[in-house]
Amino acid sequence: MLEYKNDIWKALLALAPTLLLMAVFTFYPMINTVFSAFMEGYCYGVWRDNGNTIGWLSHYGETIMQSSYDAEGNLIGFTETYVGIGFGNFVTIFKDPTFIDALKNTAIMVIVSVPVTVIIGLLISVALNGIKKLQSVFQTIYFLPYVTNTIALGLVFAVLFSSRNGLINSFIESLGGNRVAWITPFAGKNPSYFTCLFVLMVYTVWNGLAFKILVFLSGMQSIDKQYYQAAQIDSTPRWRVFTKITVPLLSPMIAYITITSFIGAFKAYSSVIAIFNGNYGPRSNPNMLITVVGYTYDKLGKMSNVNELGRACASALVLFAIIMAITVVELWVSKKKVHY
Amino acid sequence: MEAEQKNEEAKIEEPIASNDSTNVDISVQQSVDVRLEGLTKVFLDSTKKETKAVWDFNVVIPAGKLIGLLGPSGCGKSTTLYMIAGLHNPTGGKIFFGEEEVTHTPPEKRGIGLVFQNYALYPHLTVRENIMFPLENMRPRMEKEKMKALAQEMAELVHIGDLMDRKPGQLSGGQQQRVAIARALVKKPKVLLLDEPLSNLDARLRLQTREEIRRIQKETGITTIFVTHDQEEAMSISDQIVVMNYGVEQQMDEPQKVYEEPANLFVAKFLGNPPINVIDGVVENGELKLINGQVIDEIDVPDQEVSIGIRPEFFTLDENLKLDVYIEMVEHIGRDTMALCKIDGYENSVRAIIPSYKKLEANQNIKIGFRRYFVFNRETGERLK
Ligand SMILES: Nc1ncnc2c1ncn2[C@@H]1O[C@H](COP(=O)(O)OP(=O)(O)OP(=O)(O)O)[C@@H](O)[C@H]1O
Ligand SMILES: [Mg+2]
Repeated sequence: MLEYKNDIWKALLALAPTLLLMAVFTFYPMINTVFSAFMEGYCYGVWRDNGNTIGWLSHYGETIMQSSYDAEGNLIGFTETYVGIGFGNFVTIFKDPTFIDALKNTAIMVIVSVPVTVIIGLLISVALNGIKKLQSVFQTIYFLPYVTNTIALGLVFAVLFSSRNGLINSFIESLGGNRVAWITPFAGKNPSYFTCLFVLMVYTVWNGLAFKILVFLSGMQSIDKQYYQAAQIDSTPRWRVFTKITVPLLSPMIAYITITSFIGAFKAYSSVIAIFNGNYGPRSNPNMLITVVGYTYDKLGKMSNVNELGRACASALVLFAIIMAITVVELWVSKKKVHY
Repeated sequence: MEAEQKNEEAKIEEPIASNDSTNVDISVQQSVDVRLEGLTKVFLDSTKKETKAVWDFNVVIPAGKLIGLLGPSGCGKSTTLYMIAGLHNPTGGKIFFGEEEVTHTPPEKRGIGLVFQNYALYPHLTVRENIMFPLENMRPRMEKEKMKALAQEMAELVHIGDLMDRKPGQLSGGQQQRVAIARALVKKPKVLLLDEPLSNLDARLRLQTREEIRRIQKETGITTIFVTHDQEEAMSISDQIVVMNYGVEQQMDEPQKVYEEPANLFVAKFLGNPPINVIDGVVENGELKLINGQVIDEIDVPDQEVSIGIRPEFFTLDENLKLDVYIEMVEHIGRDTMALCKIDGYENSVRAIIPSYKKLEANQNIKIGFRRYFVFNRETGERLK
């Protein structure tokens, strides 16, 4: 018994640094996010008048004097304040067309990229698992994006899909086609929503493949070879081997990858700004492919004089609720479909 | 047998997809003999070192018989089986099923059933789905109802008819094994291969299932090869056994014959429990002598150094008393008594099994006889007498 007690203290001691850091940089902000999201009229903006009048601007634009001075009249600090608790921030963001756009864009990206990456990842893994020679070479090639900086990769894609001298357009031209205004204007034509989304999706899928292939491959390699031999002796066609043996036996990995991909796709942000050079779209429409995370960041960046922080938190909470709901549904489905 | 086969040939004429699901027959359509000619498998590892897993294996396995492939671990039993199954490519030699050469036929075209050492049941499928799996691959497509009926029939044969909706994980080892047999049998293979199918079972279940395998094999009449390293298992259910060592066939015969007339020292040592006693001896001028000089018999063998093999149960107390021994220990094992006997001049004691009604006391010198013995060349192990 005593030993167990000692172990608990040792375990706590070992965990303490991480717990402390997480408490400060993760738990506290998380809890605060929830509070802030529901605070209406939370004051943040600093109002200066004549250099010495200091006040706060609320959500409603009223000035609430909150500065405190010491005996000599020097400013010593502020207290945070808010008008009330409610859903005002949520109402505001849902009235904001940019937020609706962000929701729409994110949803489209999720719906397109998740199934595509999972399926392509599975197929590539099966192919990789089937070859004997050069397997590790290919594995390395597919794994490269994982260890390369997202922004750098985005720049590469931006160059690849550049309208004037990009590799893709040169290739299309060599096949006799016309250059496409992928993500930059070309011949007076601005890039369309479709081409921008296409480039973004190609990039997202490719960038996400590495990890999925890694997980699928290791999963496949741990499947007992005898199942395949048994299937071969029973003259099972390849496709049936894939659907009836590989996929079910890999289903725990597939479930894991699907859930994490959904979460990852909902959090899309850096992929967009990587491709569009810091914006959410081409120069003609810089907010074209704004995502929910992008919207949240924007709000945080613009915390000037209205209650933008509350709205950023509200938007983050909305995203959290969506991810939560979808994950719950996925876990529920996977309980029925996954063969552990 | 012949009449039976004709009868079955007649049945093949019927269309496969007949709707008559109640009348599915479980007998094999044709059983073939399996012929291995100079079958050889050499594995090369990464350092180019050769392992002769199977070497120049020549065997004819008669149609409809159950053959036990027996040998110590690593002697190439599984490799032989996998070559017959087509999962390994032979380095040399040929494999025939009946008149048809299948050496380079892919496994899916050979029409065999294989029960793996650890069953390889698909864990995510129910028993019924597992048994139906091979049927679903058949072309022309079989009707679902017919497949279900066949699977049920096969399950009844191995007495698991009431477990059809369970997953393999919910079955005992013996039940899993029977599912594996049912899955292998359901497509009516020409040849059934079993790779140590009983190795995961406890002693009682082992006994039970091996008898079941025998029964199923007799009922279906499929040519069956049964791999094991358990001699008792092989001896009890096989029509014939093949003993292998280091990839080389040592002897093939009926189990009792192999036991009674081993071809060489290896076979003699490998079969029998408790094992055969082997003591050194010499042949000089037609006399077989122990190393202490005692002459035990006259023998028509050229002069040489030999190993004398005496099975424990060959010893007797009444006839031909030939050996002076000192009884070190006596152990009563039910009906029999086992005595550890020291022979003058030998380091290792010999084990004798004597019926218990003969009273034996430890720590005394007696004369002990034996009704049979084998003589092997000490170097090659070749049987001389
Ligand atoms: N893929 C392989 N590569 C190299 N050597 C192999 C390979 N498979 C088997 N061997 C070797 O071939 C020999 C025969 O192996 P095999 O599996 O046929 O033995 P076994 O008789 O089935 O033994 P056990 O009773 O332990 O199952 C062994 O020495 C083994 O090490
Ligand atoms: Mg083996």
